[in-house]
Amino acid sequence: MKSSVKASVAILILSVLIALYSIGHAAKSDGNKKENQLGERVKQLSDWGSKRAVIKMNGDKYRQFVRMAPRNYSVIIMFTAMQPQRQCSVCQNVNDEFQIVANSWIYSPSYSNKLFFASVDYDEAPDVFNAMKVTAAPSIMHFPPKGKPKKNDVYDMQRLGIQAEVMVKWVTERTDIQIRIFRPPNYSGTITLGVLMLMVAGFLYFRRNNLEFLYNKTMWGVAALSIVFAMTSGQMWNHIRGPPYAHRNPQNGQVSYIHGSSQGQFVAETHIILLLNCAVTVGFIMMNKNPISEGDVRKRRVLTVIGLGLVVFFFSLILSIFRAKYRGYPYSFLIR
Amino acid sequence: MDLKYCNVKDSLPLFSSLPHNRFNYRATRHLVASSFHDFLNWFDDRAWYPLGRIVGGTVYPGLMVTSGAIHTILHALHIPVHIRDICVFLAPFFSGLTAIAGFALTRELWDTSAGLMAACFLAIVPGYISRSVAGSYDNEGIAIFALLFTYYLWIKAVKRGSVAWAAGTALSYFYMVSAWGGYVFIINLIPLHVCVLLLMGRYSQRIYVAFCTFFILGTLLSMQIPFVGFQPVRTSEHMAAAGTFVLLQAYAFLKYVQDYLTKQEFRSLFFFGVTGAAGAVFLGVVFLTYAGYVAPWSGRFYSLYDTGYAKIHIPIIASVSEHQPTTWASFFFDLHMLSCSFPAGLWFVIKDINDERVFIILYAMSAAYFAGVMVRLMLTLTPVVCILASICLSKTLNEYLVDDTPKKEKEQGEGEEIEEETEKKGRKLYDKAGKVRKIKPEPEKDSEGTGNNLRGFVVIAIMMMLMMFAVHCTWVTSNAYSSPSIVLASYSDDGTRVILDDFREAYYWLRQNTDEYARVMSWWDYGYQIAGMANRTTLVDNNTWNNSHIALVGKAMSSTEPKAYEIMKMLDVNYVLVIFGGVIGFSGDDINKFLWMVRIAEGEHPQDIRESDYFTTNGEFRVDKAGAPTLLNCLMYKMCYYRFGEVQNSIGYDRTRGVEIGNKDISFEHLEEAYTTQNWLVRIYKVLDVSNKEKVTNPTKKSKKKKFSSKKYGQVGPTLASSDPFPITIC
Repeated sequence: MKSSVKASVAILILSVLIALYSIGHAAKSDGNKKENQLGERVKQLSDWGSKRAVIKMNGDKYRQFVRMAPRNYSVIIMFTAMQPQRQCSVCQNVNDEFQIVANSWIYSPSYSNKLFFASVDYDEAPDVFNAMKVTAAPSIMHFPPKGKPKKNDVYDMQRLGIQAEVMVKWVTERTDIQIRIFRPPNYSGTITLGVLMLMVAGFLYFRRNNLEFLYNKTMWGVAALSIVFAMTSGQMWNHIRGPPYAHRNPQNGQVSYIHGSSQGQFVAETHIILLLNCAVTVGFIMMNKNPISEGDVRKRRVLTVIGLGLVVFFFSLILSIFRAKYRGYPYSFLIR
Repeated sequence: MDLKYCNVKDSLPLFSSLPHNRFNYRATRHLVASSFHDFLNWFDDRAWYPLGRIVGGTVYPGLMVTSGAIHTILHALHIPVHIRDICVFLAPFFSGLTAIAGFALTRELWDTSAGLMAACFLAIVPGYISRSVAGSYDNEGIAIFALLFTYYLWIKAVKRGSVAWAAGTALSYFYMVSAWGGYVFIINLIPLHVCVLLLMGRYSQRIYVAFCTFFILGTLLSMQIPFVGFQPVRTSEHMAAAGTFVLLQAYAFLKYVQDYLTKQEFRSLFFFGVTGAAGAVFLGVVFLTYAGYVAPWSGRFYSLYDTGYAKIHIPIIASVSEHQPTTWASFFFDLHMLSCSFPAGLWFVIKDINDERVFIILYAMSAAYFAGVMVRLMLTLTPVVCILASICLSKTLNEYLVDDTPKKEKEQGEGEEIEEETEKKGRKLYDKAGKVRKIKPEPEKDSEGTGNNLRGFVVIAIMMMLMMFAVHCTWVTSNAYSSPSIVLASYSDDGTRVILDDFREAYYWLRQNTDEYARVMSWWDYGYQIAGMANRTTLVDNNTWNNSHIALVGKAMSSTEPKAYEIMKMLDVNYVLVIFGGVIGFSGDDINKFLWMVRIAEGEHPQDIRESDYFTTNGEFRVDKAGAPTLLNCLMYKMCYYRFGEVQNSIGYDRTRGVEIGNKDISFEHLEEAYTTQNWLVRIYKVLDVSNKEKVTNPTKKSKKKKFSSKKYGQVGPTLASSDPFPITIC
């Protein structure tokens, strides 16, 4: 009883499916040509895609594969200007990150024909730039399967930055395709470290009969102090925030090296502070007994005067810079 | 130390004799009211609604236990002191102890006069005052004392090589573990010290005894804290200590074998033995990490190493202002002249090195790095800066104040000389505060010879700089660190001070007018304050352990009203509280923090919340007409600017952002304004129940009625508050 019901249901479903298929076929026969075209284009694209992760496009290819109407795939295009005479260093950086995204996509387990990465160079296809009204390079745009790119389909590089991780987030947002970033491990750091270690080891090996220099306290002292100076002058802040070296006022072309508020700083400013800190410290060291002035009273006196001068002058300089930055700070010393 | 207390008096908050950190205070009150075991088992249903929080297992209990113990002792002596007063004065008391610990540590490292100077620096340095003003009731306040005291005992242990001192170190370490998560710094710095000593060939039996005792006892003791639990054997942060322990055993064994071998044999064995042991330890830790027995570095610690990590992966850490990197200006602000004189101290220490000075060098360098990465860790750098700067300055002063007569000096005994210096130094330091006797040493020197003029100049210059330092510290303390965060002060044009007491007004209103078990939703910054001052249940608070819960609140704040209503109903919220500074120009309000809410929400709910929706097409964040529509219609925007268009001549000019707001036509369907404080700083909304279905048939009438009623309600609020001044002591 049961089995017969099952069989009849199966037959019913099968017949319905066949009917549906035939109806669909009949309806589609009209658009068959287009369908074939689409299939060909997808095949062509994935062919290129398998050769290189980012497909280079010129004007014709762009019109054929990105603008032509029936599409079932998204294309992410990077508009760039990589020719050396353009001197676009940002383009290079963006290109590197873009390559990482594209490569991660190709090697990801969920790779499909739904998404392609491409790039258009201004010097090869300026017409594309004009057609899309792209005025700045590099910029990245998403072309959805249906319709034209909308407001959110332009990648906001100013705000989001150029990191591959953020780009992927944006891609996921636009296409609903998850990509896990696979960054080719950056060997340059490791190699540099390895070479450095090798050099140190080699140096130690060749000097193995005379390792006295390892007990040289001056060397260690200079090393320790440079770390401390780098930190107290805010180099870590520079490293994390990446401020400009100095600020040029667009109106009168004046260059200011000191940031106007205590919340920020320029790179030049930290270098100045580093030197000032150094000078004060050297002043203190000169004022104390040291091997240079050993035994010689006159030498000692000269060093003391220089040291005192260094300490007092440069300390008051730091104080006055701080005063300029920190609004409402009331105190100053010698220099206003 | 005298200076310390005068500074403390200076900084005593005028307006509230209440601890700032409301949660710690609440927990302490609970501890005093019940027993210690009750406290450990305390399930706080007022926080993290609806999850609740097991306080005993998620808190470092050292602070509460300390004040509880003081309370018990004082009451046993029949001194009836309220627990609140103990909490308020705990931080200054402990900063006094810190100064003493700093003195002892510096004396062990250099000499007594440097020690005295270090104590004086520690007492007034702004970098530490921030945590030691009366009323700041934070873990860090007692933790810095524990840190310095542990280091002092460790140095003692290394010097003496005695089990007793090492056991003392472990006990002090235990106290530190119970007080602050920063104990990880100790458990990594001490092994580093031992490793470097081994590398320098300074191994001795003393170090072996000291480290082994400390490591074993310290690890066992630290595991007694419920919050720490098995972390010391299961996380990467503690593996450096374990690895050093193993390495030290191998090293000691080889040293022992040395006696039975020829020199040639020993050399090769030693080399391979040590490298083999080090390699084995390293590989072992790596293997255990991969196998899952040892947890890898947690995100918070990893972000110290890879500084870009938190920005991408943990927005909740990156959003806290204390976790930002440090500019040179804030180094100078917190350390003043010490920041440029302490490298000289470091130089002198390196030039004249011994076992224990290696430690202070490592401490200085690692702390300088951490302080550079995070403003908050300036706190750990400050003590070592004080110590090294005092070494530099006291050495310089010794040179120019004391050894003016070389012949006599040789005749005199060492000890006597030090005592003499001490006395002079002590006097000098009080001089700078009194500003009276600063020129006195000069004439004495003048009569003795040609070089003495110069000496006088040096001494005067240093005294001047020290005076500048003292004045700077007083200024910083009175300006930056003494105002209680709960009461804002602003200066009007004619210089009179205006007190903005909106926070307490709002919390008082919550206490008096809402149900005892009402749930209040706000951004996590205000969680502890609402729980402590209004005594109402909160959803999220300053203990940011549950990111997804915070993200849910962030999502509610950044969604449209109907969607937010769903979330709020899900979370069973009764009231919503927002901080709005647009009327008075307060920049730390919720609109300025809003992007972080969006980011944190996006991290957990990327499908529903997208940061880019809150920006204009040019990528700007603006609240005026050109602003993104998503922003202009989200719950946070609506709650902040509700009826804002009607005040200030109907312009709706936001003084914080400096623009006219874009959406003035705001009405609520599921919320109603419950209370707005005098300066609009705090706005509270009541979440309405689901409306009856019948009412929907006549929607126009309903909305009219509601608007009218909410207006009326809003007007009643402020008048009530102004007629009823807020009493100073609550709780």
